[in-house]
Amino acid sequence: MAAPLSSVSKTSAERLPFNTTSFQKKTRSKLISIPGTRPSVQNGQLLVSTGVTSLDYLLGGGLAVGTVLLIEEDRYDSYSRMILKYFLAEGVVCQHELFVAAAQDNPDDIIQELPAPILDDVAIHKPVEQPRLPCEPPDNLDAMNIAWRYQNLPKVQSALASSSRFGHYYDVSKTMEPEIRQAAKFHRFYLPEHLAQPSTTHSPMLESYSALLKSLQEVIHKEGFDLAAPMSKSRNILRVGLHSLGSTLWGDDLSCHDNPKHRHALTTFLYGLRALMRSSLSVAVVTVPSHLIQDRALMGSITRLCDNAIALESFKGSERETNPLYKDYHGLLHVHQVPHLNCLASQLPDHKDLAFKLKRKQFSIERLHLPPDLSETVSRVSRGELAGATSACGSGTSGTKHLDF
Amino acid sequence: MLTELLQGIEAGGFLVIQDSCSYSGRHLLKSFINAALNRAEVVHVLGFDVSEEELKDGLRTSDTQRLHIHSAYTDPLGWTERPAFTVHQFRLEDLTDLVKQTPHPKPATLIIDSLSWILRHVTPPAVCKTLHQLRKGGAVRAVIGLLHADMHQRGTVGSVCHLATSLIAVAPGAKGDEAVAKITKRSKFRKVMQDEEIFSLNGDFTVTIHSKRSNPEQNWNDAEEEQVDPTAELTFNLRLSDSELEAKKKLMLPFVFSKEKLATLSQPAFLK
Repeated sequence: MAAPLSSVSKTSAERLPFNTTSFQKKTRSKLISIPGTRPSVQNGQLLVSTGVTSLDYLLGGGLAVGTVLLIEEDRYDSYSRMILKYFLAEGVVCQHELFVAAAQDNPDDIIQELPAPILDDVAIHKPVEQPRLPCEPPDNLDAMNIAWRYQNLPKVQSALASSSRFGHYYDVSKTMEPEIRQAAKFHRFYLPEHLAQPSTTHSPMLESYSALLKSLQEVIHKEGFDLAAPMSKSRNILRVGLHSLGSTLWGDDLSCHDNPKHRHALTTFLYGLRALMRSSLSVAVVTVPSHLIQDRALMGSITRLCDNAIALESFKGSERETNPLYKDYHGLLHVHQVPHLNCLASQLPDHKDLAFKLKRKQFSIERLHLPPDLSETVSRVSRGELAGATSACGSGTSGTKHLDF
Repeated sequence: MLTELLQGIEAGGFLVIQDSCSYSGRHLLKSFINAALNRAEVVHVLGFDVSEEELKDGLRTSDTQRLHIHSAYTDPLGWTERPAFTVHQFRLEDLTDLVKQTPHPKPATLIIDSLSWILRHVTPPAVCKTLHQLRKGGAVRAVIGLLHADMHQRGTVGSVCHLATSLIAVAPGAKGDEAVAKITKRSKFRKVMQDEEIFSLNGDFTVTIHSKRSNPEQNWNDAEEEQVDPTAELTFNLRLSDSELEAKKKLMLPFVFSKEKLATLSQPAFLK
């Protein structure tokens, strides 16, 4: 924690000549200030946004740094992939570093499909202005006539606003502009490129998983996300997105048999992943095609090895699609696990019946409720009619069907 | 949607025809072979389930230079000296070589009859990996495979179908030669479309589509119309006769404020 402290004192020392009073705002120097993060209200954990604001709210404000979020994929992997993309897009906008691993699609393709951020109030951080100097004097501004005292103050707000805000909104109908995308630092792991020969060893871990873990560890060490490593001048968050772990393309037979040969491969990997996350400034989102995994007990232990666990249940292809109760939604969202971080009790979501829907531009999670029944056959009397029909019941109803009661 | 698929699946597509013992999907597979041959495509068939003669029966024999059958029916495991094709050759390198043996300018369509045989002898992760590589590799344009769903565990079928871009699940229909196809198709932008069609196959393996049942909303509307009238058998009257209405209007409800009440209330006895 040495570096943030010193940097804070340095900036305040620089500001001193401009200050007219000796009073200064007391700064909480214990917290590391990284763009796109904020401390949790409940337990002070450093949180990052998942990119979906409603999901942040469900998870108690956001994802705590150092934790793993497990997403159980929906049947056709359309919505789980969307959440993963939201998570990565939020990383791009907050200028976090990304690590994307996939076996099915090339990680480059996933990155190219990221949704476009809606940045209406803040300036988009262009790669041209990469070296961000908050103390740079504003040269293009006209000299202030009235508030001349603030003329030489560093133009902090506008520079930081683009990245320091917590959680952004995205337009899924558009993809992110290439210049924003390219500004982000991005590490990729595409399994076919890393696996030269098929596995012959009998270790509990599969070759694919150990290669992934090794690659991730390398990135964490090399790029200075390790908490044990000496602090570099600025710290950043590594966002790890692992797509469709446990599917057959990772070489895992978890989803094929009732009694898989590599039964402990994924759980061993997740154990290692969690250890890596805990000791570094990184946060991971893992999607698993749980609908293919037959063994419920195994799925339970996979869930236990992650901190947060949510499951998506899409209505596509199920009889619920035709049910009028669900006609406003695209699927149900189940929160299976919330993290217990440095405490015994955890922040539980206040509502258990949750549903998600994909509007034209936005993915959102809502409380599941019955749609208002506006059809003709409803016997309920609306409030307006009640007011008019206090004196005589018969005269109040003016619908097509004349009913006295 | 079945006719759309027969007209050609997109490059890099992987179609699975999923059948069971109650209805064989091989005839539908043959119509896909015929349709590909009609489009002047090169077709490679990996035959495990039936012999070459049986497979060729009914196909357009005039296009033999574009139809290549690699039969593994007689010797699937390579026990004799010179097997034509064995199940162990189901790897990307071997399959690419096989397709490249007969050079054509256009990439070929690979037909697998059936995936079930391969899945019995090769581990499912390896099969899925090969299928995925074939899709991405570019050696073949599209892959069409037959899968007997009742021969495998549910997870294996699910894993293979998870890779597919299109899935046709066939089942016997209500009438004699009719069959029901449940089609699931993923578009390029990850939109999933589903459809259910009743079809029958003619002698020359052309497909006749009888009816569609695509719109789930339509079903729902039908169900709503069938709803019984809730006012049909009531034990009380919903409507009042004129005399009853008159009587009801005359009735003074206790807590309704009226002129009489006002008069009573404004009497000096009350005001005191």
